[in-house]
Formats: sequence, structure tokens, C-alpha cells
Amino acid sequence: MARKTHDDAFGAAGAETMIGAGVTVHGNLVSESDVTIDGQLEGDITAAGDVTIGANARVKGAIHGTNVTIFGHLKGNIQASGEASIRETGQVEGDITSAGIAINSGGVFVGRSKMQTIPSLDISTESSPKQIVSPPTETRSKPAAKSKP
Amino acid sequence: MYYYIINPAAGRGQIKNLQDQLRGRLDKLGIRGEWVKTTGPGDATRLAKAAVASGHTTIVAVGGDDTVNEVINGIESDNVAVGIIPIGSANRVATQLGIITWPQACEALAARRLTSYSLIAAGQKFFLSTLTLGFETDLDKTIDTTKPGLRARAKQYAQSLGHARHYSSLKCRIEVDGQFTLNCDLFTLSVANQKFLNPLADNRLIVALSDRPKARLKLGGIVWKTLRSGGQGTLDDTATTRFLADRVVIETEPPTGIMVDGKVAGRTPIAIRLTDRHIRFITEKIVADFKNAIGPRN
Repeated sequence: MARKTHDDAFGAAGAETMIGAGVTVHGNLVSESDVTIDGQLEGDITAAGDVTIGANARVKGAIHGTNVTIFGHLKGNIQASGEASIRETGQVEGDITSAGIAINSGGVFVGRSKMQTIPSLDISTESSPKQIVSPPTETRSKPAAKSKP
Repeated sequence: MYYYIINPAAGRGQIKNLQDQLRGRLDKLGIRGEWVKTTGPGDATRLAKAAVASGHTTIVAVGGDDTVNEVINGIESDNVAVGIIPIGSANRVATQLGIITWPQACEALAARRLTSYSLIAAGQKFFLSTLTLGFETDLDKTIDTTKPGLRARAKQYAQSLGHARHYSSLKCRIEVDGQFTLNCDLFTLSVANQKFLNPLADNRLIVALSDRPKARLKLGGIVWKTLRSGGQGTLDDTATTRFLADRVVIETEPPTGIMVDGKVAGRTPIAIRLTDRHIRFITEKIVADFKNAIGPRN
């Protein structure tokens, strides 16, 4: 996972919150900046910036953020004002509400997805509970085409 | 008027040789002021308190980190400006404020650029810069890292790396703002005021910690940075966990010593909080330098 530089990490909006591998957190995380989780968290994440759940991370709780990217395991709902993205190794059990959704080949999503209303286009879709399991393919390293409901 | 609190023992007594040059420089800049010398540990706190009580609004610590910490512990008014002339063996606070040499410090005192920082309280003690615990604190107790020279540095690195290989991580529990609790194995931990690292950021505690890396190369990197960091610990990109807080309570198993700016200042468990006490520092850091580092957020 790309790491931020020292200058990025200490920006005016506040330092990025990082929870490393081997760290267990119980409770709710609130951040005015980006959040990256590589450990285990039982609780909600509320971030003004982007939220990234690393490949070995396990999160049990809701996530509120701008862009939410899942490489690891999440059991909880996602609310993203930007895009919610489930990557090759990502697994999400919960509902997603966001302006855009992308599921890469190999990514697992069990739950409901809902597009946020975009005033200019008035696009709003809500699907019934569904299970999408994208089978691993030979081209896992290449991101699959974004699926936008 | 400027009030200079001089630690005659700082930097192995180098003020003796510098005194005339320093006074001459301050005279030229028109900021000579009043000079007092400390006579022992804790004296700078007493002198700073007395100076504020008698109406001085600019106190200058002439010494190292110990002198600066003693001075700020004696100032309880928000209207006082604190300056530093770094002549100590360890000048981490001054370095963080962008002040490296004493002639540069004199210019900075005359220019009088002020930045206000909240003090951090660790138990009953106040500090401005960095608190560390874990491997770095243990290292300071066992290996003399003050000797200069390439050969001495190489020996220090080899000894430190050997020490790191045998150092057992601590079991650590941190309660953060009453909102969440963090459990982990701890190799090294640092706490500082975020604003101290970037004057444009808010006053908040930044807590950075890391577990012992499995790869030897990474361990070597942490040891190298620890030796070079000058008390900054893992605040840079070697930290694996980092978050902001206003108050943290740190417990370790087994209990361990904590260091403030390179000096042992207590043991765990300890509560660390950002206080309402502000100190206006005369700094060389120019805010414009940080604007480029931040850049527009996408």
C-alpha cells in the first residue's frame, strides 16, 4: 500500500490516522483527515477524508468517509460521499451508500447498494438484497471494469 | 525588556567562552536586556516565575532542552514570549523551532516571529516537544549516544542494533479521549504536539507507535533513525500506527520509564493531555515554508 510522505502526513488538516498490523482497537475512530486500517477494529470510523482498509485488516463497524477503499474484510455498512471501492482481496458484508461503487475482480460484496441522489442527474437506484461474488480470474492483478449500478 | 536565563553548565560550560561574543551580538541588535544565571536544577523555573511576576514579557532560555523545559514550567501567562539561545548538549526544542546556532538565535530574537503552542502535561510535568517510551528510552539508559565522531557513531549503531535485537516489546494499552482503546505490542512510542511539527496545524497530540519490525533491515532503519532523530522517536514515516488525540492514558506491561526531550520524566501508567496553557515561542520557522508542503487538498 502506498505510504504518504512525511509532509503529507503532517498536513494542516491534521495527520492521517493509521492503525498498523497487530494493533487491536475497540471504540469509534473520528478523524478530520484520512484513515488507514491495517489492524483490527471493532467500532465505527468517521473520517472527513478517505478511508482505506488494508489487505490484512478486519473491521467490524460502520464506515463514513469520502472515498472508501476495501482491501481487507469489513462487516458493516459503508457511507461514502465519493466512491466505495472493493478491491481484489476485499470482502464487505453490509450495505453501501455512495456516489459510486467499484468492485474489482475477486472482490466480495454481500449486501445492498444504494446510489446517493445526485441533484443534477437525479439518479437514485436501490436494489434488493443480493450477493455478488466475483470469482478469481487469471487477470486478478488487473483492475476489472468498474461496475456502477 | 528581554530577560535572559543562562544555564552556565549547559553544553559543558561553553557559555564562558561565548559570553562576550553573545553580549556583543545582542547589543548590536538592541536586545541586550537583563542577564541572570541559574545555580542548579529547578532554578530556571523559579527565575522564570519571578521574571513574569516582575513584569518581563520576553524570557530567553540560554542553554539546552533542560533549561527550556524548566523555563516553560515557570511561565503561567499567555502574554509572555519565550526565546531560546541553544548552547546545550541537546537542543531538540530549538531545532524543532528552526533555531540551530546561537548567532541565528540572536537574529530570530530580534525578528521576533511568534507562534503560540499549547503545552502538553505528562502527569504533573509540562513539556512542549516530544515524549518517548519503549526501545528509545531503554537505549538511552544503556548506550552513550552523545560521543561525536564517525568511529563512535558506528560503535553506537552496532551496540544499538544488538540491543534492539534482544529488546522485548511491551504489552501496551492506550485509552484515547474516552472514545476508543488500543491494544498492541509496542517497540517504540512518541507523543508530540502536532503544531510543533507543522505551525499551520491545530494544537493536538500526535501519537505515533510501532511494533518491532520482523525484517532485520527495517529494524536497522528504525535504530538508525532513533539515533539520528534527536528525541523525535517514531513521529516520522517509520511509525506503523499514528493518530490524533487530546488526552491519552498509556499503560504498559511491564511498566516502563518515559522520557521528555531525552530526559527521564516518569513511568507508566501515565496520563498525557493537551493543556489550555499556551506559550508564545520566538521561532525561526516561517509559515510560508509549510504552505508548499501542504498543497491543495483534492
